[in-house]
Amino acid sequence: MENFFQQLLNGLSLGGIYALIALGYTMVYGVLKLINFAHGDLFTIGSYIGFTLLVSFGLADITGPLGALAVLCAVVMLSVAFLGACLERAAYRPLRHSPRLSAVVSALGASIFLQNAVMLIYGAKFHVYPQGILTKSSLSLFGLYLPLVKVFVLFASLIVMALLYVFIQKTLTGAAIRAVAIDHRAAQLVGINVDRVVTLVFLIGPALGGLAGLMVGLLYGQITFTMGWLYGLKAFTAAILGGIGNIPGAMLGGIILGVIESMSSAYLSVAWKDAVTFFVLILILTVRPTGILGERVAEKV
Amino acid sequence: MKRALFFVYIAILSVFLLFQTSYSADTIKIGLMAPMTGKWASEGQEMKQVLDILVEDVNSKGGVNGAKIELITEDDGGDPRTAALAAQKLVTQKVVAVIGTYGSSVTEASQGIFNEAKVIQIANGSTAIRLTEKKLPYFFRTCPRDDEQAKVAVQTIKKLGVKNIAILHDNTTYAKGLAEEAKTLIEKEGGAIKVVFFDALTPGEQDYTAILTKLKSANPDMVFFTGYYPEAGLLLKQKKEMKWDVPFMGGDATNNPDLVKIAGKEAAAGFYFLSAPLPKDLPGGEAKTLLNAFNQKYGHLPNSIYAVLAGDGFRVIVKAIESTKSTDPDKLANYLHKELKDFPGFTGTIAFDEKGDRVGEVYRVYKVDENGQFVLQP
Repeated sequence: MENFFQQLLNGLSLGGIYALIALGYTMVYGVLKLINFAHGDLFTIGSYIGFTLLVSFGLADITGPLGALAVLCAVVMLSVAFLGACLERAAYRPLRHSPRLSAVVSALGASIFLQNAVMLIYGAKFHVYPQGILTKSSLSLFGLYLPLVKVFVLFASLIVMALLYVFIQKTLTGAAIRAVAIDHRAAQLVGINVDRVVTLVFLIGPALGGLAGLMVGLLYGQITFTMGWLYGLKAFTAAILGGIGNIPGAMLGGIILGVIESMSSAYLSVAWKDAVTFFVLILILTVRPTGILGERVAEKV
Repeated sequence: MKRALFFVYIAILSVFLLFQTSYSADTIKIGLMAPMTGKWASEGQEMKQVLDILVEDVNSKGGVNGAKIELITEDDGGDPRTAALAAQKLVTQKVVAVIGTYGSSVTEASQGIFNEAKVIQIANGSTAIRLTEKKLPYFFRTCPRDDEQAKVAVQTIKKLGVKNIAILHDNTTYAKGLAEEAKTLIEKEGGAIKVVFFDALTPGEQDYTAILTKLKSANPDMVFFTGYYPEAGLLLKQKKEMKWDVPFMGGDATNNPDLVKIAGKEAAAGFYFLSAPLPKDLPGGEAKTLLNAFNQKYGHLPNSIYAVLAGDGFRVIVKAIESTKSTDPDKLANYLHKELKDFPGFTGTIAFDEKGDRVGEVYRVYKVDENGQFVLQP
């Protein structure tokens, strides 16, 4: 029984990270109907920027752990957001009115470009985050091993997602984003600056992806330029699972995916866990093709 | 206007293509296929560094049979698909022989291509038994084989008094082969040692807490992980964070100083692994000359024994070309199979059997101490 809860906890914290990355995918899809394949690489860049700050600038020595954490989050999120906006300008805006396939190819190209840029700048080897930034202490509840950092990551993810949801649902800008997601031209007709809204989405989504990258670096310590591929794939799956274009859906999809992965490795074979996870995805999609919380599609009035 | 531009592009492209053809007819081309990028980049880059030193040395002494050696490097990215492309590229550049590569599944992807093109291939970091069971006449390897490694693994397991062993691999050709060999040998021991866990993890991921939790509940006395060093480093780190202190043992693919970097010194201390002797523990004068030359050029000793094994592969093929005074693949293969005896390599004396395997016993046991140093066990 305690094994069950331990694996559940493992799954939840893993799911929190998938959920953060999935949010970026889902927001961009909602607004542009484009799967941003470069998102996984923005996640990687986030962890590398955190690494540079910690190692090349010796951030932890200057400000101490808590200050370092705050500065890291701020700088990583801002810089990856900026990079995301540049990416949109360079790779996606010129193709706004082209067939969808061109934008997809452009996204793939951007992904390859970013991944290799990271490799050329930082080298092909693994890099390791300095230890000792985050506390190593863990809670021991009923014999369960609960590292504080993972709890922190999970709660931080949930809070960020809640804030995002409130922003989208309750503010005017959020309403503008929702409007653009429904129909570009109609949104333009009511006076919304579509370009600005898309740029905003590409600031928020990548910022979250970069934050997830930073968390992964701090949690697991080891980063490499190819790590965006696997995380991106799983997060994309999570977004589809929850209903692409739907923010609570991405949240839910990410957490469910993490838990399924953890449970299937615990109770079935570890070697088959990815197969099981994708099999569950297929099952859910056959029963509910739009994902668990449903895809946001325009309503015909 | 657009048409004109198009033709200008074609013209520029053709000029670039022209420069690709090799300029000298009097060089002997030797290929190096190595993971220059990807998760095993540190291995590939050192392989090239060692070969650069050796090529320079040979060429400064006048080359082989009067011709200079030209080293052509292709990156296989540590991936079988990229390796197939890299192999094709080397074949079209008409190399006489190829040294490489690291990673049995990657080597396997290139074997057929080289064999069909009659290019001698000398692998340096591919220990899966399968590779030499295919009766490929042009394939050799300077690294040892996994059946020897499994034997030494089981011997060590017995010596350490382990009663319940967990075996973990990562589904690659090498890791799975080694794990299954070890399991078969343990089962032959007749019940003295029990295999309580046998499964695979997915390489390339970062969170292995789920599988560690599962391993923990199987209650082994020791875990034998037959995968590669990136995953081994993460396993050690995460097991330490879980405060689980069962000893781990690794196969020779966990042998890389990045292991300590990834896991951290604390977590890596007490980790056992099997390996051919490390560069710093190599006996013999040949090895010392190479180590000094390497140190002089690059400022540190080579970290990887596989890079040194690549060096051995290079010297062996140079000797073959010199002795047979030709670059004919059949003559070279015949020489390597039959006439090369007791060649003084960096890693000991080298000879090949009729399957292309290296003759002799090579594997030793190492342990990581608290400072992250790899210490040879008696």
